[in-house]
Amino acid sequence: MALNTVGFVIRQAFVSLKRNIWLTIASVLTVMTALVLLGFSVFFLANTSNLATVFESQVEIAVFINDNQNREQVIDLRNQIQVIEGVDTVELTTKEDAIVQFQQSMGTSSLLEDLGDINPFPDKLTVMATDVSLVEGIANQIADMNGIDKVRYGQGFLENLIQLTQWLRWLGIAVVGAFAFASFLLISLNIKSNVNSRESEIRIMRLVGASNAFIKWPFFIEGMLLGFIGGVLAIGIVGAAYVWFLQYMISAVAFLPIVADQMFIISVLGLMLIGGMTMGALASVFSVRRFLK
Amino acid sequence: MISIKNVSKIYSNGARALSNINLEISKSEFVFLVGPSGAGKSTLMKLLYREEEATRGQVFIDTINLSRLNAKQVPLLRRRTGVIFQDFKLLSTKTVFENIAFAQQVIGKSKQEIKENTLYILDIVGLSRKKDSFPSELSGGEQQRVCIARALVNQPQILLADEPTGNLDIENAWGIMALLEGINQKGTTVVMATHAMHIVNKMKKRVVKVEEGCIVDDNLGEAY
Ligand SMILES: Nc1ncnc2c1ncn2[C@@H]1O[C@H](COP(=O)(O)OP(=O)(O)OP(=O)(O)O)[C@@H](O)[C@H]1O
Ligand SMILES: [Mg+2]
Repeated sequence: MALNTVGFVIRQAFVSLKRNIWLTIASVLTVMTALVLLGFSVFFLANTSNLATVFESQVEIAVFINDNQNREQVIDLRNQIQVIEGVDTVELTTKEDAIVQFQQSMGTSSLLEDLGDINPFPDKLTVMATDVSLVEGIANQIADMNGIDKVRYGQGFLENLIQLTQWLRWLGIAVVGAFAFASFLLISLNIKSNVNSRESEIRIMRLVGASNAFIKWPFFIEGMLLGFIGGVLAIGIVGAAYVWFLQYMISAVAFLPIVADQMFIISVLGLMLIGGMTMGALASVFSVRRFLK
Repeated sequence: MISIKNVSKIYSNGARALSNINLEISKSEFVFLVGPSGAGKSTLMKLLYREEEATRGQVFIDTINLSRLNAKQVPLLRRRTGVIFQDFKLLSTKTVFENIAFAQQVIGKSKQEIKENTLYILDIVGLSRKKDSFPSELSGGEQQRVCIARALVNQPQILLADEPTGNLDIENAWGIMALLEGINQKGTTVVMATHAMHIVNKMKKRVVKVEEGCIVDDNLGEAY
């Protein structure tokens, strides 16, 4: 196809979008709505998945050692624990370290003296498991060892959370899938009605010798253009909403880990745009098929 | 150039429009199709640019069998053929200029060429001042002249004119006939369906008379 034909086709798409202005506005708004929902779903999914991994990574077991154990025995315990299957790292925090840390965090220097030289802190081993599912078994094994005072870990809460995050993940994927499907349907409905409203026009074009490709192109471009405009609007809305949400979460509920990686946010927004254009193009190909006998 | 062999056309609703037609038209010939309304003149034309397909028999343009054309070849056939449609078939969302430009964009002419050709042909059919009007803003005769301009602008090898003077006053009608005679002299084969007997009688061309789907007369000169 000659270059000036391509240029003509693109200009033509703009012109026909302008002539059917209300149809175009309706199309852009539906695309935008679909993409906004899609964008929110992706961010929702990213955050639930992030939340899940953050909580899942809490495979920490705190082991408190009996006061009657001397330092050698403590080191020996640490070595024993280190070789338990599923144990990643074991870190010793001696009672001396503990009180120093406490003093530092409280901002006092004479705490030990005030306590009459009695250190209330036990020696503590911080055990990291390689996998959440192993935490309970490891904890039980350690509790059975001699010289152990107490073992603490997430316990029942952890299993519940794992199930919840799995469930949230699937829900997120289902939500994204449903909205992607709805967007595709809406765009193709719009293009279809564009095609239908121009059915006689298409018939005339064919009668004066237009090829199928020539007839198909403007709809293809129109579909992409609709996706593009809808995408740009959606990016504005989702981007602004997410920035607002980030600021709110940081100031209000600081402890919840929110995905704030700029690259990630930009690529999600970019993907929304590409997604919109791709959907527009696919939907228009899908809609003009019946004219290409 | 055009060869119609044992062609019958029965529309999908059962209407029999043509019965066992045989017709040969050679290159650069000028042929009038005459006959009463509903005789099958338009149907015969539609077979020639493949808007309709023959139910039986064969239609050839040169050596091309039109019933053997695939989807890609149909546009190519139509680009060699200019059609003045009985019902104009203008694009209502495009201006007069755009309607005529469109037929040239389809075959990939350059923007400059299109502009020159379009302005030239609009001048010839006397519509220069209406180039930015939409078809709905034109009279029937003006719309007909846009349709004529579109059919002629690509200098087709075959011109199929279905009632090209139907909506024109006598002066405009003779203007259009002069135009058709001119392009015919330059080598374009012209087939024109018409009820305008005064034109047919004065032009002294081959006249093919159709009645109830059959060719009942084929002679040179006068129709009646
Ligand atoms: N698309 C169609 N579907 C069904 N029947 C049709 C169709 N087009 C034409 N016919 C029928 O075929 C017959 C021939 O019609 P055609 O249009 O060829 O006549 P015509 O000679 O061009 O008449 P006119 O001089 O009025 O234009 C008529 O009986 C008409 O009713
Ligand atoms: Mg007719």
